[in-house]
Amino acid sequence: MSRRRLIAAIGGLVLLPPVAVGRLAGQGGPVTQDESTYGCIVCHADMRRAFAQGAHAERGIRCHSCHGGDTTQVEIPAAHRGRFLGAPSKRATIDLCASCHSDPNQMRQYGLAADQLAEFRTSRHGELLLARGNDDAPTCIDCHEAHTIRPANDARSMVHPTNIPRTCGRCHDDAALMQKYGLSVDQLSRFMAGAHGKAIFEDRNFAAPTCIGCHGSHAALPPNVTETAHVCGKCHVLLADALYAGPHGTPSLTGSISGCLGCHTNHGTERLPPEQISELCVTCHAAESSMATLGQEIEDQVLHARGELELAAEAIARMVNTGRDVADERFRYRAAYTAYQQLAKVQHSLDLEQLEDLGREVRSNAAVVRSTAEAYAEERWEHNLLLLPVWFLTLSGVTFAAFKLRELGRAGHG
Amino acid sequence: MIRQALTALRRAITGVWDDIKASTDASLLGLARFVGLLYGPIDRSLSIDQALRKSLRYRLAPHVGWRHALGSITYLLFIVLVITGVLLAIFYRPSVQEAYPSIQHIVSETPFGWLARDLHHWSANLIVIVLLMHMARVFFEAAYKPPRETNWLIGIVLLFVVLLFGGTGYLLPWDQWSYWTLTEVMTAISSVPMVGRRMAEAVMGDVIPSGATLSRFFALHVIVLPWIAFALLGYHFTLVRRRGIAPPMNVEGERRRWKRSGRFSPDGQPKEGTPFYPNHLLRSFIVALVTVAIAITLAILYPRVLADPADPYTVPETLVSTWVPVDVSLALIRLAGTWGFVLFSLLGVSLILIPLLDRGPARKLRERPVVAVLGLAFFIGYVGLWIAGRVIGAVAPSESLGTGVVAEQPVPRPPSVPLPDGTRAEPSPAPESQREGGVR
Repeated sequence: MSRRRLIAAIGGLVLLPPVAVGRLAGQGGPVTQDESTYGCIVCHADMRRAFAQGAHAERGIRCHSCHGGDTTQVEIPAAHRGRFLGAPSKRATIDLCASCHSDPNQMRQYGLAADQLAEFRTSRHGELLLARGNDDAPTCIDCHEAHTIRPANDARSMVHPTNIPRTCGRCHDDAALMQKYGLSVDQLSRFMAGAHGKAIFEDRNFAAPTCIGCHGSHAALPPNVTETAHVCGKCHVLLADALYAGPHGTPSLTGSISGCLGCHTNHGTERLPPEQISELCVTCHAAESSMATLGQEIEDQVLHARGELELAAEAIARMVNTGRDVADERFRYRAAYTAYQQLAKVQHSLDLEQLEDLGREVRSNAAVVRSTAEAYAEERWEHNLLLLPVWFLTLSGVTFAAFKLRELGRAGHG
Repeated sequence: MIRQALTALRRAITGVWDDIKASTDASLLGLARFVGLLYGPIDRSLSIDQALRKSLRYRLAPHVGWRHALGSITYLLFIVLVITGVLLAIFYRPSVQEAYPSIQHIVSETPFGWLARDLHHWSANLIVIVLLMHMARVFFEAAYKPPRETNWLIGIVLLFVVLLFGGTGYLLPWDQWSYWTLTEVMTAISSVPMVGRRMAEAVMGDVIPSGATLSRFFALHVIVLPWIAFALLGYHFTLVRRRGIAPPMNVEGERRRWKRSGRFSPDGQPKEGTPFYPNHLLRSFIVALVTVAIAITLAILYPRVLADPADPYTVPETLVSTWVPVDVSLALIRLAGTWGFVLFSLLGVSLILIPLLDRGPARKLRERPVVAVLGLAFFIGYVGLWIAGRVIGAVAPSESLGTGVVAEQPVPRPPSVPLPDGTRAEPSPAPESQREGGVR
């Protein structure tokens, strides 16, 4: 046995157990060649180890499936001959992945779509790479990794919701690279600080969108102005409906105003403080115009409702601290809070009458909570009245006993 | 036959009635006397009246004064705790689901339930303070010296029983403060090498405070510890009577007198001094009235704030102390670190051992400087730390607490009501007015 074959045998023995265990567990695919004689791992053990953790290894895919070569050989010239691909170029990577992933017959069994390449062609990345041959554009392995390709629902995957912003940020946070294309590099930081970023990274709410939620993944493109309301409306359905129903609806659809982005920012997606509603209106409308007045009235309604809600929340907290069961009050508060949330929807339609109705609903429910809290506080204050008889009886008893003791002392018994 | 039965019944009733009439000149009280509630036939047959009269006639030495009432106040507070505890136990339900709602029910639905709960809470705080004052008096007056060293040790055991009472009762409200304070303590115990983890799990009956912990703490609090406390109190009082109250500090050579006589009880009834009845009973009456009034006042003015229900998935922003020893521990750990806590605990333990070492006749503080320094360091330190703990009021939980648990939380759980700005309203840690009010 040559020295290389000996090394191959030892390497195979070391690496075989995890693979064998995977097979015993029913995860393995068809075995085409004994691991102990698989030539690639002699030199590329680290890549084999990384590959074994990915989804492809579980499906019986091997090095030669992508890279070609002769796996029965361990000498480099012999192993790297025939249809050997080595490290493919970015363009070749697309074709290599697409050879399976664009084949519906192969993808069907895994429940995967086979349209990634078609989508990629429509993207800005695809245009750069495929049409212009620009290697700055990412290829499949830039987002999915080359060897450790994990499914998107694996938290270690680069395309898991918690990792996507950083995966995109690898290029889009690179100032030198983005400068070439006239793009800013603040998207990642703004996203992380915005409502969507907080939802994912603080609340662990994976329903919130990451970069691909608005831009698409393989077909990544910035939405057009006329598309913005539709993109946001995929999740914010009620808000989008209200926007289309109101005076801003038609201009948004025709592109004369920039839809949601007229008031909100795209990557930041910060919540708009109600105090800024009227200020925001006058950025487009004249300060003395009827629309500016309407904006002020909407702001007043929202702020009033918010103030009432905050007072109700404080009242509930006070009752909790004093040990009162606040299930009813929480229910009432929830009703007020729901109406307040509807205010957010209705303010997009600029329907003042409906806003006033909802504001009244918030205020009436919050007022019930507060009045209950006040009545309870009054009831608790009445406990203080008990101090009067307690101290009257105590002082009377002490006075009586003290006189008696004094009397005993005078009589010589003390 | 019937006539005979009726006659026998009439005679029996007449006999009972004659007994009642014979035992009192006021027939309304007769029944009470007959069944032993007041002086009557049972007392005559068991000589209870003699024992009672002997107790009432018992004379206490002239130096016995107001400062000796500290022990009585401790006992009174214990009785208040028992009575309010029984009232609370009627409504309290020791289960994870029902503990917190039952506290809410006691506080807001049960008539005077709030008073029972807050009086229980305040008595639990006051008893620690008064007990330490009682101990300080005994310590500095050298009343622990032979032949009373056994009673000092019994007192120390009683102190631990009181601390156990408080420790087990602290969890029962099952709110965030009590839950996470216990978790902090158990985490600290778990960090003891070798045995810590086993000890903590043995105490909790689980790997975290859970329903198992609540059940065993409740059982200890209301079943096991009261029996132990009453037995120890009985022994404590018996020894007080048998050994007598320690003489004034300027009287020397008492021990030699005991050894010479070979007896462990006072030489008969003291001939001098003031009688227990009415003088000392009146003093006790005054002290009891004032103590109960103070406890009720504190209960009314500074009720124990209830935090959110215990939630193992949510570490609260702050932990608020609601018991004197927790205040002291909190201040120690914050100001002196873990080693400070250990050293102060060792100082406390050294006080327990002092009676075993300090057995000489010297009783004045100048004659036993080491003891005086140790005692002053402990008692003044305790008061200082307690005040510091009250000033600190609340602390953030340790960073190590629950980080793993939070990461595994499957669904974000709203702790309380959502605020309009998207945040959530937590019940306030403690109103400022209540933090300023001394102990809570």
